Amino acid sequence: MRANALHKARRWVQLAVFLVFLYLTIRAAAVPSTAGLFFWLDPLAAASGMIAARRITAALLIGSLAALLFSLVLGRAWCGWICPMGTVLDWFGGRKARPSEADLPPRWRQIKYFLLALILLLAVLGNLSLIFLDPITLITRTVAVAAWPAFNAILWGLEQAAYVVPFLRGPVDALETAARGTLLPAVQPVYAAGVITALVFAGAVALNAVRTRFWCRYLCPLGALLGLVSKVAWIRREANADCTACRSCVRACPMGTIDAADGFRSNPSECTLCLDCASACPRDGQSFTGHLRPARWQAEDPSRRQFLASAGGAIATIGLLAIEPAAARPSPHLVRPPGAHDPEFLARCIRCGLCIRACPTGGLEPSVGTSGWRGIWAPVLTPRQGHCDYGCNACGQVCPTGAIPALPLEIRRQQVMGHAYIDRNRCIPWVDNRICLVCEEMCPLPEKAIQLEEVTVVTPAGEEALIRRPYVLHDLCTGCGICENRCPLAGESAIRVYAPTDLSAVAPAT
Amino acid sequence: MSVIRDRRQFLRQMLALTITGVGASACRTSKPAAVNPTPAEPVEAFVATPGAAAPKPTSAPALVRPSPSVPQAARPTSQAAQPAAQPPAAPAVALPTAADTADLAVARGSGADPAELVHRAIAALGGIERFVKPGANVIVKPNICTAYYGPEYAATTNPQVVAAVVALCLGAGAKRVRVMDAPFGGTAQNAYAKSGIGDAVQAAGGEMEVMSRMRYRALELPNGRKIKEWQVYGDALDADVLINLPIAKDHGSTRLTLGMKNLMGLIQDRSGFHSRGLDQCIADLNSSLKPQLTVVDAVRILMENGPTGGNLNDVKATGTVIASADIVAADAYATTLFGMTGKDIGYIRLGAEMGLGQMDLNAVRTVEIPV
Repeated sequence: MRANALHKARRWVQLAVFLVFLYLTIRAAAVPSTAGLFFWLDPLAAASGMIAARRITAALLIGSLAALLFSLVLGRAWCGWICPMGTVLDWFGGRKARPSEADLPPRWRQIKYFLLALILLLAVLGNLSLIFLDPITLITRTVAVAAWPAFNAILWGLEQAAYVVPFLRGPVDALETAARGTLLPAVQPVYAAGVITALVFAGAVALNAVRTRFWCRYLCPLGALLGLVSKVAWIRREANADCTACRSCVRACPMGTIDAADGFRSNPSECTLCLDCASACPRDGQSFTGHLRPARWQAEDPSRRQFLASAGGAIATIGLLAIEPAAARPSPHLVRPPGAHDPEFLARCIRCGLCIRACPTGGLEPSVGTSGWRGIWAPVLTPRQGHCDYGCNACGQVCPTGAIPALPLEIRRQQVMGHAYIDRNRCIPWVDNRICLVCEEMCPLPEKAIQLEEVTVVTPAGEEALIRRPYVLHDLCTGCGICENRCPLAGESAIRVYAPTDLSAVAPAT
Repeated sequence: MSVIRDRRQFLRQMLALTITGVGASACRTSKPAAVNPTPAEPVEAFVATPGAAAPKPTSAPALVRPSPSVPQAARPTSQAAQPAAQPPAAPAVALPTAADTADLAVARGSGADPAELVHRAIAALGGIERFVKPGANVIVKPNICTAYYGPEYAATTNPQVVAAVVALCLGAGAKRVRVMDAPFGGTAQNAYAKSGIGDAVQAAGGEMEVMSRMRYRALELPNGRKIKEWQVYGDALDADVLINLPIAKDHGSTRLTLGMKNLMGLIQDRSGFHSRGLDQCIADLNSSLKPQLTVVDAVRILMENGPTGGNLNDVKATGTVIASADIVAADAYATTLFGMTGKDIGYIRLGAEMGLGQMDLNAVRTVEIPV
């Protein structure tokens, strides 16, 4: 087997796949029909999403079957060749264990099976609260919420610094013309969850200092799923007769699964087919051949007791989620993307973050506290940060599970996300008798949901004056939030979008 | 010791770089802008009908050309104020005399081709050559405020009107005609596409430009009553010719949005205008930012629910194009299409008070052209 050539090829394949992943994530709004590619190929997110939502999406079904078939042939090669998170973890390689240093106890590897079972059992119970542990959602969210906004901010700073130098102005202008509004966001996105997301991802990478591919070995629930499938995978690593017990492979294996005490065999549930062992071996002592019989069960593989512990954990999670405030009363400012309604939305949303990336105003952001623990990382609209653009329906177009429905623009515009309410104790024309009508000007509806009433007031100087004041028509307001976004008051806006109330059944005045 | 010598040399190099950098940035801000260097000044907009007195500015001259060290877009238009810095008019071509041009041209024809309306209106002002010289760098500023609706909703300037202006400028030998606006609803790319202006301009040979956040700089407004300086798009200040191309629309705050208000698309901070008194700030901006030509698109106008629109029932087909070098006069005439007068609109009234133009349509030489 041309191990060395394949081994080098793996690095290139990883890079190419990573670049595709980056492109699809960054340009999600421009390529909505393919932006969810990595979620179709992620059997954990796809299966959990479909099970919890009780509905099948063709792309998710076909993709996850293809990924499982791939794993049935090549084991955890998905982790070693395709996973973008694995690629980043390889790039920040971490410390290889010394030959004398033992791997962490086998129980550690069981954590990932515990999490896998927890996620799948919760999905069976209609709950997706822990799907944010899936690595593809993790890295997509990190790009959308932390990495790309931070990169944009750094780039903007560099551009402004460069603009001082006359001959650099041309290239900066060329970059802005080519990329601003398309590749680079038109407005700098800032998210409440931005720093936490970055820290969580950095933490996952930093764990490489303890053991290489720490996440993949001990924590990754998707790796656990593919690991279970790999027990019956066709291609597996074996040490062959040429092996001289030099232990080079043990040192080289990033998953730490080659056991010197066990004839240098590895566990197919852990082996990612990275071929580092074959590359390090001086004698071509590994074989990657076909096997039909299931691999034997080892100490670090999941046990029945552990599965029961997962079941208990799932029930405990459901119980905990039932006693949090969000279960009984939603946050007053909980505004979901257009067409998405709780609780069905939370059973369909895989917390991938693509809608957040696609939103052109930066208004959609991962919820931290607004929808409780049950809705962590699921998107909410924060109008003061970014409104829902009247000319846009990107979020529904990119959503890989249809949790945000893909609606034609005209239908999307009619979705009621919330209702705007004016605080008459702060609104400038109401309180200060000064002229301001920005909210009415900005309202994009053909029949504006903000109308003006003209009243006579007495100014502080004691004169009578005519002033126009805004009021909201809640039958018309869809909660897009551009009014809240543009209100010129410092700090909190005088007009705020609240979770919608259906007033149609309430009797009007007679 | 070599370490200390290296450190000194390093510090010397850093100092040199810093001085260079500071010098470069200082050069940038103090370079006099090549604004309107046209030796052949077009006929002033303030030419009153024979016998009528030129409008006198209230206090300071209506327009003072600031000191050369500050970039400015000012163009002296008042004959009453004759700053010494005014370049001598040495026209390369014989300008049309006062007898055969108008101050305000209104082309009207229901169902007429918008391009034809534009041609006739500008011809009545003396032709595009009066404003655009060969080799000119032209910027056209239409109203592309949102990316919500197509052109038939009259929320954005009619694309055929924009294309006609672009074609005329290129026909007069302009080196470059750029069209731009900074929408408040949606991205520029989407707004250019949705309004139909992007395609129309490209077909006419112009360029659509997305306005960059880097390219704003301070414009002094010495005659401003409320504001004395504002960040304005640098390219618009540096252009040889700025053509203002609003569409006449209803507006909640100011009642109507026309030419004077259309210039708000060229400033960086619009919220600041709203919080300081919108009408006065618009007038203050117009006191120093003076487009050479204003063409008000009134082929279709938006009667209600402006500036965003969205209801075809609010659109009225008035089949009119208004052109003038006097932005106040153009706006004052446009108000009549809504059954109002110039006095009803705050910024028009303030602009006239500040001597920026003529609000009284009786004092303006108007030509109405049926098409």
